[in-house]
Amino acid sequence: MSKHMGKKPGWFLRLLGYKKTQFLTIPLFSIFCSLLAIAVLILLIGKNPLTAFQSLLQGSGWLPKPNYAAGKSILTDLLDMLDAYTPMLFASLAVALAFKAGLFNIGVSGQMLLAGFAATVLVGYQDFPAGLAKPLVVLLGFICGSLVGALIGFLKYRFNVNEVVSSIMLNYIIQYVVGFFIQTRYVDVVSRQSRAIKAAARLTLVDVAWGNMKLRLPLLFIPALLVAVLLYFYLKSTVGGYELKAVGLNRQAARYAGIKVGKRLVSSMTLSGGLAGLAGVTYYLGYYASIKPNELAALGFDSIAVSLLGNSHPLGIIFSSLLITSLDKGSTYMNSTVGVRQEVSSLVTGMILLFSACSAYMRYKVDASLRLALAGFAGTAAALPQQDSADGSGKGGKKA
Amino acid sequence: MTETIVEMRHITKRFPGIIANDDINLSIGKGEIFALLGENGAGKSTLMSMLFGLYEPDEGEFLVRGQPVRIDSPNQAVALDIGMVHQHFQLVSNFTVTENIIMGVETVKRRLGIFPAVDLKNSENKVAALSEQYGLEVDPRAVIDDLQISERQRVEILKMLYRNAEILIFDEPTAVLTPQEIQFLLQIIRNLRDNGKTVILITHKLDEIKQVADRCAILNRGRLIAVRDVRTTSTQEMARLMVGHDIAFTLAKKPAQFGEEILRVDKLTVENEEKYEALRQVSFSVHRGEIYALAGVAGNGQVELADAICGLLQAKSGRVYFRQTDITQESVRTRNLRGLSYIPEDRQSVGLILDFSLQDNLVMKRYYQPGFRKGLWINREHWQSYAKRLSQAYDIRSANGIQTIVRSMSGGNQQKVIIAREIDQDSDLQIYVQPTRGLDIGAITSIREKLIQERDHGKAILLISLELDEIMACADTIGVLYHGSLQTEAPAGQLDLETVGAYMMGAKHE
Ligand SMILES: Nc1ncnc2c1ncn2[C@@H]1O[C@H](COP(=O)(O)OP(=O)(O)OP(=O)(O)O)[C@@H](O)[C@H]1O
Ligand SMILES: [Mg+2]
Repeated sequence: MSKHMGKKPGWFLRLLGYKKTQFLTIPLFSIFCSLLAIAVLILLIGKNPLTAFQSLLQGSGWLPKPNYAAGKSILTDLLDMLDAYTPMLFASLAVALAFKAGLFNIGVSGQMLLAGFAATVLVGYQDFPAGLAKPLVVLLGFICGSLVGALIGFLKYRFNVNEVVSSIMLNYIIQYVVGFFIQTRYVDVVSRQSRAIKAAARLTLVDVAWGNMKLRLPLLFIPALLVAVLLYFYLKSTVGGYELKAVGLNRQAARYAGIKVGKRLVSSMTLSGGLAGLAGVTYYLGYYASIKPNELAALGFDSIAVSLLGNSHPLGIIFSSLLITSLDKGSTYMNSTVGVRQEVSSLVTGMILLFSACSAYMRYKVDASLRLALAGFAGTAAALPQQDSADGSGKGGKKA
Repeated sequence: MTETIVEMRHITKRFPGIIANDDINLSIGKGEIFALLGENGAGKSTLMSMLFGLYEPDEGEFLVRGQPVRIDSPNQAVALDIGMVHQHFQLVSNFTVTENIIMGVETVKRRLGIFPAVDLKNSENKVAALSEQYGLEVDPRAVIDDLQISERQRVEILKMLYRNAEILIFDEPTAVLTPQEIQFLLQIIRNLRDNGKTVILITHKLDEIKQVADRCAILNRGRLIAVRDVRTTSTQEMARLMVGHDIAFTLAKKPAQFGEEILRVDKLTVENEEKYEALRQVSFSVHRGEIYALAGVAGNGQVELADAICGLLQAKSGRVYFRQTDITQESVRTRNLRGLSYIPEDRQSVGLILDFSLQDNLVMKRYYQPGFRKGLWINREHWQSYAKRLSQAYDIRSANGIQTIVRSMSGGNQQKVIIAREIDQDSDLQIYVQPTRGLDIGAITSIREKLIQERDHGKAILLISLELDEIMACADTIGVLYHGSLQTEAPAGQLDLETVGAYMMGAKHE
């Protein structure tokens, strides 16, 4: 104790230790750490990290590039990024929702693929008018995703099959069954992918002329944000949200309280699957217009980490998805201008996720050293360790 | 007094919103049994957690054997020969006793001179020797899963002794034990002292303090009120020091007025999770205005019985009737709505959601009812006012009011949360399993008064308790469960303490 006696803790430590903002400061700190680590790496390969980061931001439409090709501008870049952002947001919300109910939905990419495939075949290849096709795609995506989710939930509830195992198995099944059908019936001989869908069914408007530019408009971008906000209020202020969190935190106690735990598990997994389905259609029938056979979207797995970075909090996820998508989208440009390989951005993403996975530990460390520093500093201690989640939904303590 | 082994100087610990320990100065002598007494939330566990390195004090310092020390982790505490038995045991359930004990401090031998291996044989002998020396009666080769709660507790004690602990801290060790087991434990504690160990004992039971402790410190709302010599202090006085006013030890109880039958259990057989028939062919009934108390040693089917009545466990055969309606197949929620409250034995994993706030826990049985919701939305204002009212009425003390996360509340106050929630439902049938476990005497008296008051209001009460005192004090009718069957049943006046005790141990019904 004596070593620290009377030394006022630094502003930085106090900032990180302030519980009320910790949900923000700790992820930001993880991001900062990983950027720092990457900067060192880029330095080692003899490039300037600052220009590398700058080009990342330029590539994803946050900063203007020095020059643009015809018909392109910062706006086109930004919209491109948001087009990729939309499925990421849906997918991460899917993971977060399941997580709040105490379930781990690792099958997001399988649910995405099935939803995308069903919508492609049933709507994308038909001659529906846009006004009918687009809502149908959304509906179908949601339904297909929820069915898979419901199945996982049901297996868990009825036969006590671990949801991680069943989601992974379903991932495989969907991946190869869908792959089989694409290759045998819907393949485009040139691209070796599924044939492109009709424009009417697509959830992204491509080549929208605006001045002399051609823009992409992700139609579900705003709805996705709305879903996040809705989910936030659902968890925070509805009876269903209360039950869901109760089940997620303590199943035995939830049962004792009279909550139908099985029903809750199935319904949460259904909803989670539905959100994954929306991610699927915005991905395969929005950002892309075709499906690569025998492949699961990496996005489905990244979303687990994104959700973690956002503390499984719907509003936090709005931002964490934005960050990860930006890094991802900016990396091509970084590659071509600075000559730092594209993979570095995956590395940044990986690092951030790694650091954010350590956030519980970080929080613990900060609290511990803060306590030490304060041990000799009477008076300030009382203001410090506030229990978080006063709003009842931000749960810091329960990590993977 | 003999030499001082632990000294606390100006120890202060604050939690947001509360001073858990306020400028505590204490010295504990080597080789004494030192008791800590105080109301729920007085700061006993916090003080001991600091000595064991789980928290650090905001101010003040500890001196161990005269040396100022900084105890920043349990490892540090162990290095200073301090050990602690927690309320919730920390054992690996499919390991043997010895494996659990030596974990982290294994002695390693080399097979064939090269391959490292844990030296189990030697350790087992050492554990057996320790067990022998202190009269713990623990088989070093037994698997934890097969052991009863009291035996597991003794394994925890062995764990400390194996690490050469000189100062042993017990936090409410007797709360989970039966009367016989308590006597056994107290004897062990005496043995420890006779072997030169120092024991710090937290308990709410004054008679236990009277039986074993040498000195006793009394805390009240974080402050040290007094340190007394136990021999020269009456339990009355201890209680008064603790609560701040006199409390009546005997309950005023009007003769019972039985009304209609509320609960009838008919030849109920229940299997527990291991498919073992924990309850066999049990029949009894409880009426309005009756306190039916079930006595029994822990693990004789009490929990299964209560769970089955409430719908948490499926009945294998037999029926449960509530006001003449067969509810055997009904859901937990339906039974609740009929008017059934249940205070479960395991408060931390069944009765509460520890990561929810006090408010969210208090509404747990009501959140879906009209008034508590507006359509799909929760009625937050109502939740708040409801929670505020309950925490006041039941004197639930917490650091940040109704938004306190229950996990951070003291053990006794957690128990009060459940009691408040369940009694307030105003149910016709109220099932209490160990309702006063972990409560201070003031709170115990007030809970028992509540219980009798509920009875007088015409409720049917099923009280399941391991404490004979509680049963004798409250019951109108007494039943005794032994090995899952009802051993005897009689009006309270016809059974005395000894007879009930004998039935609990399996004496046959004439
Ligand atoms: N980790 C924590 N965070 C915030 N407050 C805490 C924490 N631990 C304890 N407290 C508060 O400190 C006070 C003292 O708690 P403590 O557990 O020491 O009481 P106690 O004397 O052991 O009571 P009981 O007899 O009920 O077990 C309580 O008001 C409790 O709410
Ligand atoms: Mg305590």
